[in-house]
This record gives sequence, C-alpha cells and structure tokens, in this order.
Amino acid sequence: MTEATLNMAAAAPQTHKPAAGGREEFAHDITGTVGKPFLDGKDTKFFSRGVNVFYTGNKQAIFDVNVDIGRNEVIAMIGPSGCGKSTFLRCLNRMNDTIAGCRVTGDIRLDGEDIHGKEQDPVLLRARVGMVFQKPNPFPKSIYDNVAYGPRLHGLAANRAELDEIVESSLTKAGLFKEVKDRLQTPGTGLSGGQQQRLCIARTIAVSPEVILMDEPTSALDPIATATIEELIDELRQSFTICIVTHSMQQAARISQRTAYFHMGKLVEVNNTKTVFTNPQHQLTENYITGRFG
Amino acid sequence: MSTTITEKVRASLGKRYAREKRFRAYGFISIALSLMFLVLLMFNIFSKGLPAFSSTYIKLDVTLDAQTLGVTADATPEQLRTASYNSVVQKGVQALFPAVEERKQKKALKSLVSGDAQYELQRMVLADPKLIGTNQTVWVLADDDIDMFHKGYVDRTAPEADRRIKDFQLVWLDKLEAEGRIDSQFNTTFFTRGDSREPEQAGILSALMGSVYTMSLTLLFAFPLGVMAAIYLEEFAPKNNFWVDFIEVNINNLASVPSIIFGLLGLAVFIQIFGMPRSSPLVGSFVLTLMILPTIIIASRAALKSVPPSIREGALGIGASKTQSVFHHVVPLAMPGILTGTIIGMAHAVGESAPLLMVGMVAFIVDVPHGITDPATILPVQIYLWADSPERAFTERTSAAIIILLAFMILMNLLAIVLRKQFERRW
Amino acid sequence: MNNTQHTSHQYNQELEAARSKLMTMGGLVETQVTDAIKALLERDSALGEKVSFSDYEINTMEVAIDEQCAEIIARRQPAASDLRLLLTIIKVITDLERIGDEAEKVGRYAVEMTETASYGDLHNSLRHLGEHVKAMLSDTLDALARLDVKQAMQVVSNDQQVDEEFDSITRQLYTRMLEDPRNIKDSLNVTWCARSMERIGDHCKNICEYVIYLVKGKDVRHTNLEKMRDEILGND
Repeated sequence: MTEATLNMAAAAPQTHKPAAGGREEFAHDITGTVGKPFLDGKDTKFFSRGVNVFYTGNKQAIFDVNVDIGRNEVIAMIGPSGCGKSTFLRCLNRMNDTIAGCRVTGDIRLDGEDIHGKEQDPVLLRARVGMVFQKPNPFPKSIYDNVAYGPRLHGLAANRAELDEIVESSLTKAGLFKEVKDRLQTPGTGLSGGQQQRLCIARTIAVSPEVILMDEPTSALDPIATATIEELIDELRQSFTICIVTHSMQQAARISQRTAYFHMGKLVEVNNTKTVFTNPQHQLTENYITGRFG
Repeated sequence: MSTTITEKVRASLGKRYAREKRFRAYGFISIALSLMFLVLLMFNIFSKGLPAFSSTYIKLDVTLDAQTLGVTADATPEQLRTASYNSVVQKGVQALFPAVEERKQKKALKSLVSGDAQYELQRMVLADPKLIGTNQTVWVLADDDIDMFHKGYVDRTAPEADRRIKDFQLVWLDKLEAEGRIDSQFNTTFFTRGDSREPEQAGILSALMGSVYTMSLTLLFAFPLGVMAAIYLEEFAPKNNFWVDFIEVNINNLASVPSIIFGLLGLAVFIQIFGMPRSSPLVGSFVLTLMILPTIIIASRAALKSVPPSIREGALGIGASKTQSVFHHVVPLAMPGILTGTIIGMAHAVGESAPLLMVGMVAFIVDVPHGITDPATILPVQIYLWADSPERAFTERTSAAIIILLAFMILMNLLAIVLRKQFERRW
Repeated sequence: MNNTQHTSHQYNQELEAARSKLMTMGGLVETQVTDAIKALLERDSALGEKVSFSDYEINTMEVAIDEQCAEIIARRQPAASDLRLLLTIIKVITDLERIGDEAEKVGRYAVEMTETASYGDLHNSLRHLGEHVKAMLSDTLDALARLDVKQAMQVVSNDQQVDEEFDSITRQLYTRMLEDPRNIKDSLNVTWCARSMERIGDHCKNICEYVIYLVKGKDVRHTNLEKMRDEILGND
C-alpha cells in the first residue's frame, strides 16, 4: 500500500522478452515477428518473405522481414529513426534500385508476381506502385502539367480531352480540384505546403496505381494540412492499398488498420492498430509507443 | 553571479563592436581600392582609345582625267582597277600648295594623305566609271602623323628635331585648317578593314570576325560535350568505380593546366597529325574547347548535384525512367548553373591568347576571314600585335581594340545572363 | 508496468503522482470502511458520525484525480500500458468513491442503531461479513499496488463468498422479522448495512477486474470465473 511497495512492483525487470505473464502465446513464430504479420492469401496485395537490404560495405539495413500487406488497407510503419521502415517501404517499388550499392534479397510479390522477376520492369512496377514523399516535391511546372506528367509519360490519354479528364478526376480524388480549378496553369510550387502534398498525391494517383507508398507524407506540414491529408488517405483506402511510414504514432493510430513496428532493421510486431496502441505484444513496441527509452 | 556575467559581457562588448567596425572598414577599403583601380584602368583605356574612333580627313580637289589615269573612257573594269589613281592624288595634293618646289618638301607633301587615298578614288571610279573626266572634291584619309597632329598629340613648342611634323608642315596644316580642308570624321575604316601596317588604315574587323568564328565554334563544341560529360558522370556513371574516379581526378587536374600547354597540344595533334589548316578558327576553337571543357564539366556537375533529390525521386516514383527523370526535370533545373559555368568558360576563352599563338593565330591578317578554315586572328592577339607596333597611332588603336573586346565580352555575358534568367524562371 | 522509464521525466512524475494519489485515496477508503464496520459492531455513534462526515474527503479526491487524468490524456496522448493505467485509474476511483459512499451509509446506520438493544446472533454474522469485506478491500488495494494478477483473481473469486454470506444474513433477517414485527425497523437497518457491505465486495471485484485489464490488456468483465482463469492464468 505504501510508496515502497508501489515502486517495488513498478520495478519490473526490463528485458526484450515479454514481461511476466501471458505474452508467450504470441511469441515468436518462425519470423521473429510477433502479432499477426500474415493474412489470408486472397486478401494479400504485397507478400514479402525474408527480405534483407544491404548497403555499401555489407551494412545490413533490414533483416529478414516477413509481412503481408492487405488489399485496400492502410498499413502504418512506425519505429525510431534509422529502424529501416523507409528502407522497407522503398523495397516495395524497387526505389532502392536507384541507390548505388544497395542490394535487396528475399521474395517480394505483388499480387503473386515476383517484383524482382526477370520480366518485371521497375518502371512498370512504379507505375503500379506509386510513391509520395516526405517533402512535397511538385515539379517546377504548372499544376496541370504536374498531374498530367505521369499519364503523358505512360501514354494513358489518347487526346487532350482524355488528359483533361484524368487531371480533373485525380485532382478531385486528392481533394484539391475545388481549390485550384481556376488556376490549373499556375505553378504547382506556388501552392501551400498541404496543397503541394495533395498535388503530389494527385500526381501519383493520375497513373492509377494499385498501391500508394507514403514516406512520412505529413512531416513537413502543419496540423490542419495534416488532418486534410489524413482524411484523404482514409478516402483513398476505398480504391488503393496504402503503406505509410510515419514518425507520428498518433497519426498511425488515427489512419491505419494495421501497424508494423520496426526496430533496428527488424520487424518486431505487426498487429491491428487497435491492439498495437492499447495492448502491444512486444516489450519493444510497448516502450516505443509509450515513449520509454530502451 | 548573474551581475558578474552581465558585467563581463558588457566589458567585452566595446571590444567586440570595435572589431566588427574594423572588419567592415577593411572590407570597405578593399572594395574601394579595387573600384578605384578599375576606374583608373577604364579611364586610361577609354581616354586613350576613344580618339581612335575618329580619324582625320583632308579635302582634295581632284581631276579624274583619263590621261592622268592612263585609261580611256571605254576602259574595261580590269583597266580601271589598275589605273594610275596615285598620280591623280599627287596632283590633287600639289594643287593645294603649288609653291612647293624643294624635293624633300615635295616628298612630305605626298605623304600628307594616306596611301589609302588612291584606293578611295579607285573605289569611287569602279562604282561609277562615268566619273572619269570630271572634277571631284573628295575627303581622303590623312596620314597617321597628320592624324596625331590634328588630335593634338604633337607639341608645337618642342624643338623641331623632336617632332615628326616639321615647321613647314605646320604652316601647311594651319593653312588647310584655315581653309576648312582638314576635319575629323567617324573612323569607319577601323570597323570595316583588316589589319594594316599603316595605322590609319588598320581595322579590327578581321580580328573581330576571327573571334566570332572561334567563339561560336568553341561554344558549339564545348557546351554539348561538357554538359553531356557532366550529365553522364553525375547521373549515370557507376559510383566508386576506379575508372570514373580516375577520369574525375583528371578533369579536375586539366582545369588547372596552363593554357599554353593546350596550344602545344593543338599544334601537335590537330595541325601536325590531323593536318588541319593552320591559323584557322577551327583549330583555334578545338584548342579553346579543350581548355574550357573542364570548367564547364565541373560547374555543370555542381549544378546537377544541387538539384534536390526529391525531384528525381518524384519523377521516378511515378514511373519515369532514369533518363526521363534526368532530362525532364534535373537538367532543366540545373540549366542556370550549367549556363553560368559555360559563361565563365567562354569569358575565359574569349580573352585567351597564349594557346592560339601556338596554332598560328598570331599571323598578320589583312583580309577578313570568310569561313572557319580561313586564316584568322582574334581580338586579344590583335591587341598584342598592335601594342607591339612602334607607331604612335597604334597606341590609341590598341586601346580601342581593348574597348571592342570588352564590349564583345559584355555582350556575350549579357546574352548568357538573359538566357539563364529565362531558364531560372522556377515558377 | 514501469513508469520510471519514460524519456520525459515530467511524464513519469505525472503518472506517478496520479498513481500515488490513487493509492492514498485507496488508503482513505480503507480507513473509512474499517471505521464504519467498527462503529456498527461496537455501537460507537461518535465514530459512526465521524465516518459519515469524512466522505467529502474521498469525493474531493475523486474529482482531483479525475482532473489530473484528464490533463495527462490531453497533454500526453498516452498509449498502450500508460493508456490502460489511466483508464484503470479513472475507473478505479469511481468504484472507490462508491465504496466510500457505502461506508458512509454504514456509518449513518451505525449511529441510528446504537439504540438497538441487541443484534443477537446477527452480530456474529455481521462481524464475519465485515471482516471478510475488509480483507477483500485490503487485498484489492494490495493487488492494485503490486499489479498482482493472481491476487486480483483471488479477490474476484472471494466475492462469491461475500454474496453467500449476505444471502445467509438476509435469510436470518426474514426469520427475525417474521418472529416479531417490532424488529422490522432494526432488521431493515441491518439489511441496508449488510447490503452496503456486499456492494463494497462487488466494487472490489470490479477494481480487481480493472487490475487484470491493466496488466494483461484483456477485458475480463462479465465473463465467468473459469473462463477468466483459463485466459489469464492458464498459460502461466
């Protein structure tokens, strides 16, 4: 009843093993990842097994990541800086190929197709798996040209009218059309930060990808712009699968269905977001979520 | 505690502000000094060079009679060309001062006007053969000594032996002045002729054209080569590859090689091995291209490197290929920087003379070059040649040529800056 | 459950403060209950009065802790174990406050019943029930302080015994009231007291269920004891 007993009780030993009681039932299957990393085959959009990434000098960035990403779900990847969450995200559209000395091993499949397969072209893959980056990076062109760039590149529109339609529908889906419809020919870099990021999202969905990867899309935005983007992500979930890397745990909690926690290159836990934020199964996840060091 | 800190800070404040003031003063002084020297230099060049833009003419009354010319009225153009215009000029001059008898004075009288006077008459007659048999009043170029005198460079009070204009000539000139037969006019010769041994007939056009040809070719070769090399090295070349690093080190080294070495290389390779025409803008531009390539490559690489990676990623992220992302986005964004590098390189090249001396562009070129393989010289070399000439009148022409070179350079840079501003419109 | 490990020291202190306040409140409630039962059994009207007047202390504490928790939630957006801790605190103080209310009631009846001649054999039953409830409350607070799931489970299962004892007292009272209608007033008073004690046992059970939720992250309310045992302890 006294402070002393309280503190004694509180001073549970800090280990990476689950704390006393009850957690072993979730404990390590072959993957070393606790929680529910795998889905039913038919819901799986991305399938990844044994993914390792090495940088120059055999420095390993991520270790043996096994996870399924479901169709039309928002999966959030969280973890401390340098934990490999962005690296893993960039494996999914082979963006790591563009980094000199970066090597990816393991099996990643999109709808059952090996994305590293011989017949798989990274350019085609990136048209199917779009990406939105941390810093809003509209091209220094007009709003219209920004959105039209992808469709033009891939020849998605037969004529100007079709292109106009793609641009309009993409901007509408990104929730930006009303704001910019009178100034489509003005520069995209003249928009506010949040609008720029939505322009980047519009640019990405203009090529009708199946999956959208987002690498900390709101870290450079103010809270209101962030809320707009989060709302947008929730709407986009109807038509796209979304993988989002975020530094904000609250954001992951708000927008995702499942959450994956990375720690030092390892995928520690994947679970329903609700479970991760109320009752994480792994001590490391718990420490990160609650803001403890260790 | 805090009071002592405040006191300490306050005690040091005076010193710190003084140091700041001193530093600003140093900066101001150095700027002022360099400005002063620049102004001095400009003043010197312009004060010396501006008179060269006018030259002295003498009004002659000449009789273009067929007899003196030694042709008939129905002469062929060939005959007209070789007619004796010199005699006509001489008669015209003698007519001004009929009293002169002494041999030495007669000779001086003949050299009152420039050797160009007879060609002036030739041009007139060739243009209109009907002039034969008529009396004409023409303004002809005065000799360079007369020109110098008329521009006030000759001191009348100096002892006669120290003057190139003798006392009897002074009398003539005063008479001509009184009759209104001597006058300064705009020096068109300077802009329309090639080099000459006679200062009053020497022009800048051949050197200017030589420079224009050489520079255009240099730009044509160096810009695409340099930019492509930079793009390849920066965007496509494998990183951490021995040969790429090797090339990189060598490019950096080439940037600091003395320019005359490039001239030697040009002489040995382009002229002796490939047998290209000596003294031609073509070879000159090859040499200059080699010289400024490193500058362009290094500047372009820096410009490419400074394009934010987010732009590349953005393009790659929607499925652009590497080449598309580079040429659609990276290069346009890097263009201002690339152009700056090119401007620096070209400005360097336009003022360069040493390497071109080695490939023979130092020749005495009278004719204006009409192609890239014609012998030519360039402005800096022309300046050097004139500065070397003994005649007093060449001094002002040297300065005038420098003014032209500066104007040429300013024009070139202006063009480049305008282009760069065009690209710099970052929206 | 380790509150000393947050990166933010301030956060540690805030959580710790809320928790220690909770324990203080628990202590206060325990004293109230002990005093109320003592007043009832020993017919100590002064003590009973004191108990019925001390309830406001508990009420103010409840409000204060609630406020503190709301502030932590607003400022820190706690997650996982911290979130569970705060939820548990908020719920536990409600139950503690109710226990305080029940103790107050018992105190009031104790004052009223000092006039009663004798409880007869009821005295024993009441004492028994009182001891039992006191022990339960003490165990509950212990389990809460040590986050001891086993002890919490024990308390939950003990609640059944309290219910049985309450039932037996009720039966005794029926008989008493049937025997002599003059006893009805006193008997009713005794019923209310026993009822209050039984309610205290129920609240203790609730608190223990929250402790299990806090530690295990599993909501075990409204399940039967066997299932609970399976889920919580089966794999220990």
